[in-house]
Amino acid sequence: MTKSINITLKVWRQKGPHVKSGFETYPATDISTDMSFLEMIDVVNEQLTLDGKDPIAFDHDCREGICGMCGAVINGRSHGPEKGTTLCQFHMRHFSNGDTIVIEPWRAKAFPIIKDLVVDRSAFDQIILAGGYISVNTGGAPDANSIPIAQEIAELAMDAAACIGCGACVAACPNASAMLFTSAKISQLALLPQGRLEAANRALAMVRKMDELCFGNCSNERECEAECPKEISISNIARLNREFIKAGLVSSVK
Amino acid sequence: MNRLTNPLGTSVGKKLMMAVTGLGFCCFLTIHLAGNLTIYGGKDFFNSYVEHLHSLGPLVTLAELGLLVFAAIHIMTGALLFYQSLKARPIRYSVNKRAGGRTLGSATMPYTGFILLLFVIFHLINFHFVDKTNITTFQLLSNAFANPVYIFIYTVAVIIAAIHVSHGLWSAFQTLGANHPKYTPFLRGLSIVFSVVVGIGFGFIPVYVFLLL
Amino acid sequence: MQLDAKIPSGPLAEKWDKHRFELKLVNPANKRKYTIIVVGTGLAGGSAAASLGELGYYVKNFCIQDSPRRAHSIAAQGGINAAKNYQNDGDSIWRLFYDTIKGGDFRAREANVYRLAQVSNNIIDHCVAQGIPFAREYGGLLANRSFGGAQVSRTFYARGQTGQQLLLGAYSSLMRQVAAGQVSMFPRREMLDIVVINGQARGIVVRNLITGEIENHAADAVVLCTGGYANVFYLSTNAMASNVSATFRAYKKGAFFANPCYTQIHPTCIPVHGTYQSKLTLMSESLRNDGRVWVPKTPGDRRPPNQIPESERDYYLEEKYPSFGNLVPRDVASRNAKTQCDMGKGVEETGFAVYLDFADAIKRDGKDVIQQKYGNLFQMYEKITASNPYETPMMIYPASHYVMGGLWVDYNLMSNLDGLFVMGEANFSDHGANRLGASALMQGLADGYFVIPYTIGGYLAGTDRPEITTDHPAFKEATRYVTERTRKLLSINGKRTVDDIHRQLGHILWEYCGMSRNDDGLLKARKLIQELREEFWKNAMVPGSSEDFNQSLERAGRVADFLEFAELLVIDAFERKESCGGHFNEAYQTEEHEARRDDENFCHVSAWEFKGDDNDPELHKEPLVFENVELTQRSYK
Repeated sequence: MTKSINITLKVWRQKGPHVKSGFETYPATDISTDMSFLEMIDVVNEQLTLDGKDPIAFDHDCREGICGMCGAVINGRSHGPEKGTTLCQFHMRHFSNGDTIVIEPWRAKAFPIIKDLVVDRSAFDQIILAGGYISVNTGGAPDANSIPIAQEIAELAMDAAACIGCGACVAACPNASAMLFTSAKISQLALLPQGRLEAANRALAMVRKMDELCFGNCSNERECEAECPKEISISNIARLNREFIKAGLVSSVK
Repeated sequence: MNRLTNPLGTSVGKKLMMAVTGLGFCCFLTIHLAGNLTIYGGKDFFNSYVEHLHSLGPLVTLAELGLLVFAAIHIMTGALLFYQSLKARPIRYSVNKRAGGRTLGSATMPYTGFILLLFVIFHLINFHFVDKTNITTFQLLSNAFANPVYIFIYTVAVIIAAIHVSHGLWSAFQTLGANHPKYTPFLRGLSIVFSVVVGIGFGFIPVYVFLLL
Repeated sequence: MQLDAKIPSGPLAEKWDKHRFELKLVNPANKRKYTIIVVGTGLAGGSAAASLGELGYYVKNFCIQDSPRRAHSIAAQGGINAAKNYQNDGDSIWRLFYDTIKGGDFRAREANVYRLAQVSNNIIDHCVAQGIPFAREYGGLLANRSFGGAQVSRTFYARGQTGQQLLLGAYSSLMRQVAAGQVSMFPRREMLDIVVINGQARGIVVRNLITGEIENHAADAVVLCTGGYANVFYLSTNAMASNVSATFRAYKKGAFFANPCYTQIHPTCIPVHGTYQSKLTLMSESLRNDGRVWVPKTPGDRRPPNQIPESERDYYLEEKYPSFGNLVPRDVASRNAKTQCDMGKGVEETGFAVYLDFADAIKRDGKDVIQQKYGNLFQMYEKITASNPYETPMMIYPASHYVMGGLWVDYNLMSNLDGLFVMGEANFSDHGANRLGASALMQGLADGYFVIPYTIGGYLAGTDRPEITTDHPAFKEATRYVTERTRKLLSINGKRTVDDIHRQLGHILWEYCGMSRNDDGLLKARKLIQELREEFWKNAMVPGSSEDFNQSLERAGRVADFLEFAELLVIDAFERKESCGGHFNEAYQTEEHEARRDDENFCHVSAWEFKGDDNDPELHKEPLVFENVELTQRSYK
């Protein structure tokens, strides 16, 4: 049932990339527990605006958990403590009256802060750019049913393809590693016959690009899998490792 | 050569080296433990095992060299990985909470690893680089473990080793790509069992020796 | 001005082939000399930028999100249609064409829709080759489902995330072209004006949303793929940043806006809870395959659903439409829900919801089967509402979802402004007055992968364009206009937040120009919108500066455009004295309260020309000629 709570926010405020920054405290009063977390920030921002203060900048778009635009660390948990949930789908009913909520941006060297909770995730685009595609031009494809794909394989590929590129895996990883993100794309394409042809090149190129962008190293902490809003499994990281071994140590690809 | 070293120089390549050397140490631990268990067969049985081992001569030297190389790779790569990961998050979170993936073992790998390095040096000084001409290995043990401080140091070190391998063994398989819905749960269990066996197997020896006195 | 749709002559099935042959070609070596601007990276924009890059053109691609992968096409759940007839159930290109024309209530062009049905098959082939993990049968072949009232299974899907997968496919192709240097990506840029030189679209002015810098970009042609304007209703299933600004700027520069009153209200959304609500969440239409829609028979019955006996439940869709039942098209389902709630039979605290009940389906097929089919949707519902649909019926209510209206384009997808191409939801599209489920993805990708690569070549090879750079006075003028408008927004310094005003605009439109409309209401709405616009420019509060990351300023610009555009929407609705598809004027209905078209007087596209801020827009009509299908009254009884 709908009820209202009063809470206190401690929000990371940072005007620009290299500006002095820190936490600011704001009260959030009369918050309906049916609100999503982002709607709660909307309400706080409305008040800040009316008070002549700078509203909290945060990324968001679809607000239905699929675009991957939103995300912040809430009391130490990426996208909040609910399993398999993006911040926009995380509701205030998980809090109680009087709670203090600490909100921090994704923190990683590869994701520099733009403003407040907004970070630059273009590093993810860079990783895809390095090889996260199948090299087919429009127009020449054979009939869609010409290569049968076992249902189980298609489902595994879909499990990996569900990644929304939000960056929670990097944010949650104690080492700020992007292995879950990278492995999801490598897995999806390596599983499908259409993607096998370039699998070796792709694995090497994407891993190299990931390293170049200053992400940390995977140490199998499994925090990424636990925080991923799409619950992408680290079995994809193992598949990346297999693909990498094949590509780097077995294939003749450079 | 580049074609091989380049892949090994990447983050995944370095992890592979950690995994292979780590698994090597797990094998070593198993053999070392199997040998040490002969102590429960009595003083003579233990001493004859040691003699038999030393009679292998060059093979032992080869194994020692291998372990040394493995250790060098494991330590240097581990340190590099740790340093790079530290750099990957220059500003830390003010609130840290686990989501359920991290374990005691995984969270402390670099630290337990470092302590183990110190311990191994200590251990080698005590039992390896000593003059054994007039003394049996068993006596060496008895002398050492007559001192409760030694017992304490060894027990703590063995617990730390157990914590280290509780993550290390499973993690090595994951890094080598061995993740399978049918076997991974077993491997995770094996990792825990192995760490317990290592902990109790090695951990009880100093106490046993002390009680024998 | 006579609108020429440039529809090729000849038999329907041969028009596209014939046209492709007749279009001029650009010499492969010359393609790299042409720069094409593509605004938007959704299914239409992403696929267009990738395909044009593959052909060898130099493409500049812009998006407002931080990455092209986040365009709102990503949220489409259900699937994509194609006339593959893999299920051997009687589908064909002709049937897909006919269903789409009929579903659109005969307000779309035959030739465009037929082409769409033709290329639908190529889309599936291409997407599979890109590595999109469509659902498959045990034997390894592609699976299909029937969707949105279609009586054949022609919908391809990737769980409930088809839009996401198709978009990521287009995105991956796009990234490949970026890597190849054929496409330059400009994320976090918002198009604020279009530059027209000698009657030709030659560039755009954008704001860098991080630095606030105003940038000029020149090109040989401009392609707008900027999506729909459903957010004019404030609450909609669209993403927060979806807006009308790009197309509205083009309208103000001379492009005609067609059929703005065709808006689609989706029947299965999670109901509104409170005033703070920022958006509505769609639950896939596929739920209606197994869920039964009902309300209590007695108005005001507030008992919990499980205490209302079978005899006191009104399964109004099944009763009214025995053959289609719960699967009637979107507009019909939505209107009926509204009718029931207006009669006081609505449920939920607000009285604006109806039940969608799975109890019978669970009894019939077992919980496991239902979970397999809809598990993720049920989970999403529970996450948002904290109620468990396996035990209590879901509550749903219609919400603004998609718009069929958009910039007018000819058969080549070019607007009346030379060199300005418009694709996807941004154009007035192939969906007529109502879009069928799983057709939006099809149209976006058809436009981007298989239409624009041909037609833009025809334009570039067939026209003369003077050399220009961004030093041209037209760029300076557009930049000056944009800067001045930004300055004005920041200096209002009033007392109401932009969201607050937007919310009020949404109320006005939902009330008077939503699911059903009448002349009095529309006149009233127009007046209210004018007043609200005045209020906005006097009393809005836009904090911050123009020289940094300022989300309030972004929103203010969009809402300012919505406030102008809303009036155009209302004018168009008032002008169309008939009911068809998404436009339902209460004065024009059959005895059974269905939409009654007036084919004699309104079988045309209404294209509006901007005539200055102080004048009413001028209406141009493009007659719709039907040579191959017979216009019938839609009936789903």
